[in-house]
Amino acid sequence: MLSIKNLEAGYGKVKVLHGINIDVPKGQVITLIGSNGAGKTTTMRAITGMIKPSAGEVTLGGEKIDGYDSHKIARLGLAHSPEGRRVFTTMSVTDNLLLGAFPRFTGSRPKGDIKNDLEKSLEMFPRLKERRNQLAGTLSGGEQQMLAMARAVMLNPEIILLDEPSMGLAPILVEEVFKIISNLKSQGVTMLLVEQFAAAALNVADYGYVLENGKIATHGPASKLKDDPAVKAAYLGGAGGH
Amino acid sequence: MDMLAQILSSGIAVGMIYAVIAFGFQLTFATSGTLNFGQGEALMLGALVGLTCVDTFGMNYWVMIPVVCIFGMLQGSFVELIGVRPAIKIKSEFGWIMSTIALGIIFKNVAENIWGRDALPFPSPLPMEPMNFLGANILPMEILVVVGALVMMLLVEFFNRKTIYGKAVVATANDRDAAGLMGINTSMVITFSYALSSLTAAFAGVLIAPLTLTGATMGGALGLKAFAVAIIGGLSSGLGIIVGGLILGIVETATGFYISTGYKDVPGLILLLLVLAYKPSGLFGKSAIKKV
Amino acid sequence: MMKLKSLLPILIAIVGLFCLPLFIHNPYYIHLAETILIYTILLFGLDIVVGYVGQVSLGHAALFGIGSYTAGILFFHFGLPIWVTIPASIVVTAIFGGLLALPALKVIGPYLAMVTLAFGTIAQILINEMTWLTEGPLGIKLTRPELMGVPMTKAEYFWMVSAITILALIVIDRFVKSQMGRAFEALRDSPIACDCMGVSVYRFKVIAFVISAAFAGLAGCLYAYSEQYISPNTYNNELAVLFLLGIIMGGRKSRLGAVIGAAIIVLLPKLLDDIFLFRIVASIIAIVVVIGAAMALSKKVTTPRRVAIPIAGVVGLAAFSFWLNSISDWRLSIFGFMILLVVYYLQNGIVGFAKSFYQSIAGKAKTTRGGDAEVVDDSISFISAVGNQNAGAELLKVDSVLMQFGGLKALNNVDLSIKRGTIHGLIGPNGSGKSTMMNVLTGIYVPTAGNVLYAGQSVVGRTSSDIALSGIARTFQNVQLFGEMTAIQNILVGLHHTFKSNMVEIALHLPRYKREEAEAHARAMALLKFVGLDDLANEEARNLPYGKQRLLEIARALALDPELLLLDEPAAGLTAPDIQELLRIIRKIRDNGITFILIEHHMDVVMSVCDTVSVLDFGQKIAEGKPAEVQADEKVIHAYLGT
Repeated sequence: MLSIKNLEAGYGKVKVLHGINIDVPKGQVITLIGSNGAGKTTTMRAITGMIKPSAGEVTLGGEKIDGYDSHKIARLGLAHSPEGRRVFTTMSVTDNLLLGAFPRFTGSRPKGDIKNDLEKSLEMFPRLKERRNQLAGTLSGGEQQMLAMARAVMLNPEIILLDEPSMGLAPILVEEVFKIISNLKSQGVTMLLVEQFAAAALNVADYGYVLENGKIATHGPASKLKDDPAVKAAYLGGAGGH
Repeated sequence: MDMLAQILSSGIAVGMIYAVIAFGFQLTFATSGTLNFGQGEALMLGALVGLTCVDTFGMNYWVMIPVVCIFGMLQGSFVELIGVRPAIKIKSEFGWIMSTIALGIIFKNVAENIWGRDALPFPSPLPMEPMNFLGANILPMEILVVVGALVMMLLVEFFNRKTIYGKAVVATANDRDAAGLMGINTSMVITFSYALSSLTAAFAGVLIAPLTLTGATMGGALGLKAFAVAIIGGLSSGLGIIVGGLILGIVETATGFYISTGYKDVPGLILLLLVLAYKPSGLFGKSAIKKV
Repeated sequence: MMKLKSLLPILIAIVGLFCLPLFIHNPYYIHLAETILIYTILLFGLDIVVGYVGQVSLGHAALFGIGSYTAGILFFHFGLPIWVTIPASIVVTAIFGGLLALPALKVIGPYLAMVTLAFGTIAQILINEMTWLTEGPLGIKLTRPELMGVPMTKAEYFWMVSAITILALIVIDRFVKSQMGRAFEALRDSPIACDCMGVSVYRFKVIAFVISAAFAGLAGCLYAYSEQYISPNTYNNELAVLFLLGIIMGGRKSRLGAVIGAAIIVLLPKLLDDIFLFRIVASIIAIVVVIGAAMALSKKVTTPRRVAIPIAGVVGLAAFSFWLNSISDWRLSIFGFMILLVVYYLQNGIVGFAKSFYQSIAGKAKTTRGGDAEVVDDSISFISAVGNQNAGAELLKVDSVLMQFGGLKALNNVDLSIKRGTIHGLIGPNGSGKSTMMNVLTGIYVPTAGNVLYAGQSVVGRTSSDIALSGIARTFQNVQLFGEMTAIQNILVGLHHTFKSNMVEIALHLPRYKREEAEAHARAMALLKFVGLDDLANEEARNLPYGKQRLLEIARALALDPELLLLDEPAAGLTAPDIQELLRIIRKIRDNGITFILIEHHMDVVMSVCDTVSVLDFGQKIAEGKPAEVQADEKVIHAYLGT
């Protein structure tokens, strides 16, 4: 579904990614974990067109999308729930969800039944249903995260990118978020999940990649990575020794 | 009492015009963080094009309005393409400030050469006899101005709230990057906001033209005062602009009456300076938090 | 120190100006040259706001007018001589410049441009309306100033204006090359870093406007006597825009640019009045541009796409001039068109363009500015040692600080105690409040509740520059260097606090100023050597590799002679060898007794160099202790990994 080869990217003079390879097969949940500053969010931004990669290639469903603008990539069916949620704070929950389906309104994506999907979304996220007319800016962090994910689902996407969904959330909310991710997984949604919370991510994913200083340090089936001491070392230094 | 009613009614009419122009500033600032220093000239061109339609082509005033609106949209898109887009690309604030000023100067000069330097009268679609209301003399045209301005702003609000394209514009204003992730072509949204901004200015031009004289110089002072209104009200608040417009319009009319017409423009400008000195985000705006 | 090379052009200018009235007797041309000189003085002043502080000012026509009218009013109502009106114009206009700066303090960019525009409009209205003072639209007539009882001749007045222009040139040149010029540029490049380096943004904004206005006032006064008649409608917004066009087209931050710009704005309207002359000039320019583009294309310095628009523009202009019979009506459109051209294609003005054109044709790659590399004096102690007494005593106390933004508690009742001479680490997941804490400690945010005590004194409510000057220096998570300034200039801004000399001492290059400048340079070079950047001293900061930019920021912070150094993610984006260098530098600084607070994500950095570590999560402190203890703490592991 989504394939990243030898991707290099950075900000101005700072090169953050030094050639990474990731493969997201259809119907699977792939996770990218690593400590802060390792380059996870940079990877997401390079995939979704928020920054342009300096080298390498990104392919979505066979089409090369590296260098495309964000809106073009979204119209090809890649939904992104960005780091920090970035919901539209001055608009209602319903409006946020409708905007998630924007390409369906304009014809860039198959229209389907938007109204129906809106109701289904709200059923899946009961907290949002209660607040459907509330301004997104007044929601709590956890609710905003739900909204960002629901908004991504509204695209009827080929693949969803989730960028640090647990960031800034209290443990109990993190549990809820990952329950929803599991739910989506059981519906067959293809996902690329970037997370700081390695444990929760590896619990829900099929396969994992560990990013360290802009390179893939190790990768493998999620169940195997969970017990790998290299993972712990990547986060807290110490034990493995550098 | 009669005097007060007169000042209020004239002030409200003038104030609403400022509010409509200021509205245009807000549109482009919200979506792109830029504004058109030549906004007054957009109004002037709208008025002059409208005059040509009515005088030379014999068009009916009401038929002329949509024609002028379309002209406004084209003019606004032109300004964005030539003056603003290149500057946003090279991330130069200095760039769009200077180029919108330059375009304003060019438009004014072109207008002077096409329509001459004299102020021209604009035929009024409504009778010119003032009506008497609560002791004030109100021209029917003044009522049209207030109604027209409100209708325009309400239409845009409706567009923003009820249509998906309007929501896309609001989303771009709220968070440009996130809007792109939704599949919204944010460059086109910015071009559109400039087109809409000039449309409202051109519309304001044909509204106010029958009340004053139309000429190449009518844009300058109006543009600056509209900016004052936008700042006083706050560049992020629609209601603030209406309130700001009314305040400025009434204060100005009162000054013109009690002190002298020469000093009319001064209180508005001083109010602008005071607001910028103490609360740059405007009376109704929210202050931004510094991010380091 | 003026070397002969830079002295030569000035000598030529002095001789040329002196000779002009001797060889050219037509008063029209002398008047033209005089006007160019007067506008040059104004552009020197405008350049401070536009070139150095980097803002758009539409108010300088009004300041020019205030200068003219001060002279006019004093002459007309009181009959005062020029020896009084010149200083009076300077002082009065400078005061108005200060008034203009007040609403401009908190704003930048388009808001500041609007402030100046509003100011300009108000000034013009007032001059027009206050007829009892200014004679309003009638204007004021002035007679030639008297020299020893006899009215000056045209030539004598011209020589006086020339002499004043040359003096103005020397003064402004000295100002902008001194710590004041550096403060202005720092203001432009990063107001936040400027404040945090002890250079108060508010203060220097006012100073910039005041000096700029003083020059405008001087120019205005001389203009009044030159024209011998002043009226309100001269000093309008169009003139303000013309001044801007002049300085941008001539070249910002360049004295020669100001002269060229002044010449352009004086001569251009004359040129436009004569259609035949204009056609010739337009055709010549078109030919020159086409040839220049061809040369550049042949040397592969540019692409056809890039030269297409400028070529179309100048050729189109030449063609347009042949089609019209009179171009003076289109004067303003031509100005507008020129502004567009300059803003997108001539950003560095004619002077800047000529320099880079010459370099690219001649094949020279010039990335450095300034003189030859300076030799480092190794004997200088560049870190003012704080000494090791009182080691272990509490230097900074954070007492139950609450930082709330709307509903979000970024810092929720945090206590910290930083001991002298230690390196105190501050770690935690994204969004835990670390940078917020830095901003509270340096005065960028004012805490909602709680207190911060530095050496026993409360820091809350004090300005960032005040806090910086009392001993707390910092670096930033996103590098906040003064990008367009060189590495050594960045350090010199940090050393601003060592300069006590005032404007007069700078203008006259008195001994104290020269000594301070020399000492600061020596110390700056030593600091650069300490972080390994001495060979890059004259390189623009934005061109430095990322790792070196971070080291430069640390060196700049050291220049403040701090007791407490706050480093915000100093290792972010650094490669392994860079990190080793960073650690070496941190330890050396610590050995001088300076205390650190270090925000970091790189655990190896934290482990190897910190004495104590505090861990934040969700704005609260969840653990504190020695690095190894914290690393093994359950709560910390959970906060980071989620197990």
